[in-house]
Amino acid sequence: MKGKSILLLLIILVACFSCRNSPNKPSEFVFPETDSVPAGEAEKLSAEAIADISNNITSPVEIANLLKIMNVPFSPDYLAASIDANKQPTAFDKALTLGILGADLGYLNMYEKTGSSIDILSSIRKLAEGLSVGQFFDFETIKRLSLNKSKLDSLLFLSIDSYTQIDKYLRDNDRGQLSALMIIGVWIEAQYLATQVVKKYPDPMLRDRIGEQKIILNDLIMLASPYCNRDSEFNSLCRDMREIKDKYRDIRITYTLGEPISVEKNGGLVIEQTETSKVEMTGEQLAEIIGITASVRDKLVLNN
Amino acid sequence: MKKYLAALILFLVAGFIVKGQITDPLVSNCVLNAGPDAKYLKDFRVQLGKAVIAGEPRYKAQMSLWKNTKYRFSMCNSEDSNGKLILSIKDNTNNIVLSSFDQKTGKIYPYVDFKCNKSGIYQLNFDFTGGQQGSGVGVVSMVK
Repeated sequence: MKGKSILLLLIILVACFSCRNSPNKPSEFVFPETDSVPAGEAEKLSAEAIADISNNITSPVEIANLLKIMNVPFSPDYLAASIDANKQPTAFDKALTLGILGADLGYLNMYEKTGSSIDILSSIRKLAEGLSVGQFFDFETIKRLSLNKSKLDSLLFLSIDSYTQIDKYLRDNDRGQLSALMIIGVWIEAQYLATQVVKKYPDPMLRDRIGEQKIILNDLIMLASPYCNRDSEFNSLCRDMREIKDKYRDIRITYTLGEPISVEKNGGLVIEQTETSKVEMTGEQLAEIIGITASVRDKLVLNN
Repeated sequence: MKKYLAALILFLVAGFIVKGQITDPLVSNCVLNAGPDAKYLKDFRVQLGKAVIAGEPRYKAQMSLWKNTKYRFSMCNSEDSNGKLILSIKDNTNNIVLSSFDQKTGKIYPYVDFKCNKSGIYQLNFDFTGGQQGSGVGVVSMVK
């Protein structure tokens, strides 16, 4: 009896310590065990899970904000200027392009290059109407806000909210494949922006942000997985996404633990996280990510 | 008299413009009151009935938060809410990284600024105080 009790105590102790995060020992982010997403599993994704994945994708506005913090000047060279909204024959092309232009719109808005965004807005309108989701894009108000250089926050809200509503409508109406394409389009263009800028401005913050995309890449691929065998276009896109993921395989993201510091300020609460994440990525790995991102993005944009 | 007339016209036009920009007044007020430097990212519209048993937050959503970014989480309630909207955020190890409700003092903060130093996927948990009925919105913005 005594022996059994000691054994039980030992098991509990081992279990407790093996689950506990040691403050001195950094943990590490790894891709899920199988490193691939079985299509069957992905098909089981609930509406909530898909909504969560959609929330997890880096917003192009956040990338643009980071560029502004780094004092990187605006450049129209990063925009997908060659896209012609009239030459998008399939729903696949329209949805993907809608995503790409959405990211460009976020970049323009953040830099308050709102006068130049009118062409992109017109293209977005055509594409949204082509997918029968034009009713969610308040083109006239966004255009008025852009031309008048009105409050940036209202402009950002309307632009982002329009995309959120389109995304939700597509998912609610069994057109999840178009929602997935739009989200992937947004991500690829934002990733392209980040990777092109880092070539000229190799700031550690931007470098880290590129490396940290490993955290959400699996989710992004999971979003597309149910449709990979749908047609040749989807098949090719899924292959491209997996190629990008391959370039991230050996990048390490480690975490160190710490307690948050909080202070009251002006009636609100200000919290600084002392836990940190660290990206370990060589110059060669970054160069490969820059290369594959440009290749995939250019293929999508120049096909137009 | 002319001054009053001009002020009235300005008021009506401004009201029309704001209404045209953002239709849901609860969301629009919350977005516009997030602060002059706040840049809108996302909102979570929360509508909950009275909980049978008050406990775990009932509205859960995920969001990625990125290192070197300062986020502002603003919570706003509709007038007919019985409870006040509160937010707590957990990281991927299920640790609470922030809460707009101080359990020790019972204080509820209308906004929380969070300087993120660990990129990852976080879980946002919303509920109304005491599991009461309410509708509200949590707006996420970036601040300097």
